Amino acid sequence: MGIISVENTDRLYWLGRYTERVYSTIKIFESRFDTMIDVDDLEYKAFCKSQDIPNVYESKEDFSRKYCFSLEDENSIFSNLMRAYDNAIVLREEIGSDTLSYIQLAVYAMNQAAISKAPLIGLQKVTDNLVAFWGMADDDIDESQIRNMIKVGKLVERIDLYARLKEPPEKIRREARRLTNRIDKSTMRYSPKTMAYVNYLVQLDDVPYDALIDSVEKLVGDSM
Amino acid sequence: MVTYTDIFSKKERVEDMELYAGAGDVNEQLARYGVKFGIYKNNEFKEQLFPFDVIPRVIDSKEFDYLEKGLKQRVVALNHFIDDIYGDKRIVKDGVVPEEFIYAGSGYLPQCEGIKPPKGIYSHISGIDLVQGKDGNWYILEDNLRIPSGASYPMIARKISRRSAPDLFTGKHIEDNRNYADLLRRTMDHVNVGGHTVILTPGRYNAAYFEHSYLAEKTGAHLVSGSELIVENDHLYFIDYSGRKEKVGAVYRRISDEYLDPMNFNRESVIGIPHIFDIYRKGNVALINAPGNGVADDKGIYYFVPKMISYYLGEEPILSNAPTYLPYYEEDMKYVMEHFDDLVLKDVAEAGGYGVVFGSKMTMEEKARFKEMLQKEPRRFIAQEVIDFLDIDIMEKGQLLPRKADLRAFVLMADEPMVWKSGLTRFSRNPDSFIVNSSQGGGFKDTWVLSQ
Repeated sequence: MGIISVENTDRLYWLGRYTERVYSTIKIFESRFDTMIDVDDLEYKAFCKSQDIPNVYESKEDFSRKYCFSLEDENSIFSNLMRAYDNAIVLREEIGSDTLSYIQLAVYAMNQAAISKAPLIGLQKVTDNLVAFWGMADDDIDESQIRNMIKVGKLVERIDLYARLKEPPEKIRREARRLTNRIDKSTMRYSPKTMAYVNYLVQLDDVPYDALIDSVEKLVGDSM
Repeated sequence: MVTYTDIFSKKERVEDMELYAGAGDVNEQLARYGVKFGIYKNNEFKEQLFPFDVIPRVIDSKEFDYLEKGLKQRVVALNHFIDDIYGDKRIVKDGVVPEEFIYAGSGYLPQCEGIKPPKGIYSHISGIDLVQGKDGNWYILEDNLRIPSGASYPMIARKISRRSAPDLFTGKHIEDNRNYADLLRRTMDHVNVGGHTVILTPGRYNAAYFEHSYLAEKTGAHLVSGSELIVENDHLYFIDYSGRKEKVGAVYRRISDEYLDPMNFNRESVIGIPHIFDIYRKGNVALINAPGNGVADDKGIYYFVPKMISYYLGEEPILSNAPTYLPYYEEDMKYVMEHFDDLVLKDVAEAGGYGVVFGSKMTMEEKARFKEMLQKEPRRFIAQEVIDFLDIDIMEKGQLLPRKADLRAFVLMADEPMVWKSGLTRFSRNPDSFIVNSSQGGGFKDTWVLSQ
């Protein structure tokens, strides 16, 4: 096992979180966008509420543009992609140039999508690159500890997002099981007590989503 | 004089251009790998792609043998000079180099007096800038012995070009330049005093951050920031995520001397490591390159390098300097004043293409002002004859256009001096400019050294 700093441990975890956040929010945006086309113009308001982000948008068009592509909107998908990039760019020697290149390509694809007349098609290229990034991370990074740190970030983010969207308990339980199996292998600093509590919460018939979000956010690193 | 067009036949050249045209955009691939450099404009950090031109500079094997000998000779002499300056100072006592050029320069660090670095090596990685004149002769423009950058660019460009235009490389007998990481690793390992080897970066907002991270990846060294290293019990340690301390034996530092150690140099540095210089002094860590090397790559000292070669090695310099004048000497001042329009004037304190002015391009008023400044501060400037560079073709929108270009050759010092069989060829994108620096909009080319 190579040596790895606290800073890089943190960056790998957040790289996993932000790539997952971008991927998942694009998928969610796609389904909401479809609803907004001809079913409900104001669907985006419910989306903002579920994601706990301020509704600063004037219309569905304004939402579609700013939420996806505005770097001035700190909650936008693009802002989150740039956070993934900011973490990835300082991890070249940990994850390798080939793996890193897919984050770079996702940024280029996002820039193209922003000026495209068919942004959903453009966003698909962003998700294609993120999937390729995860595939490369799995296949190309020798150090299992590094792979596991990225995956822990990804799973934490997924549980967090699913809880915010009040997804069915079984869906969340599956991710919690995967996280439980992964987190010890990552050798990251985390709270076993909080992990046990997350597992307890997801087993309840009526999952307390707010408590779950609070717990999973405190699972790893300084916030635990 | 040897150029791409001399070496390869017309038929080969046409075929090569077709191969490049059909190979897709290498620049697109370089963008994919984030081959960028950072610049600050209006206090804002921006990352820019470093434009790559597909037509290589080609150096045949005989010519490179000559360059290799000259470069090794020069770097060995410069190492002797640094050792001497921070030691016995024989070259000053013998009147070969005036002391004003040593102690008044910002590159001289009194803190380095009496220090012998591991294996006696000061300039482990030297970047020597050369140009080829239209007369076919190579001239040294400057020596970079502090933290020369640029090797990573031709390294990755070669990798991508071989992938995008493989037939271009078939049967041409080109030395493989992708071994730079091996040479660098050998150089770092040679002086490592025991422990890990790390590359110390100021961080991602440094202009050369791509290079730091790429070299770390390719050499297998750990890329670290100052906050991840600590000096304890006279040794340097890397603190890992679990708080464990791992001993470090060699630091390829990509931060300048003044920011290296706030206890010994600039007290306001937040990117350095307190007391690293103290343990370096005790021989407990190797610093690559050694602090204090600036004393030997000052533009004023450049004038004396041929004299150093004769003084330390008893040999005639193989490679020539560009004809240079030191206004410090009365005779040279007279010449500079009389031939002002024919000369390029360089501020010895500046780098990166800044502080360079051409006499012929100044207005009458600017000339008068500059001459006055020169009289007041003769030590601050050197003057050089403007070398008529050999133009090198670049390809722009399918057309071949001549541009000025230089070559940064890399000499690495391990158990023996090694010259990397390639180099960074930088060119000016502006047809009227001699300034090739990336920070001023220049581009780069691969440098092919032929093996036969």
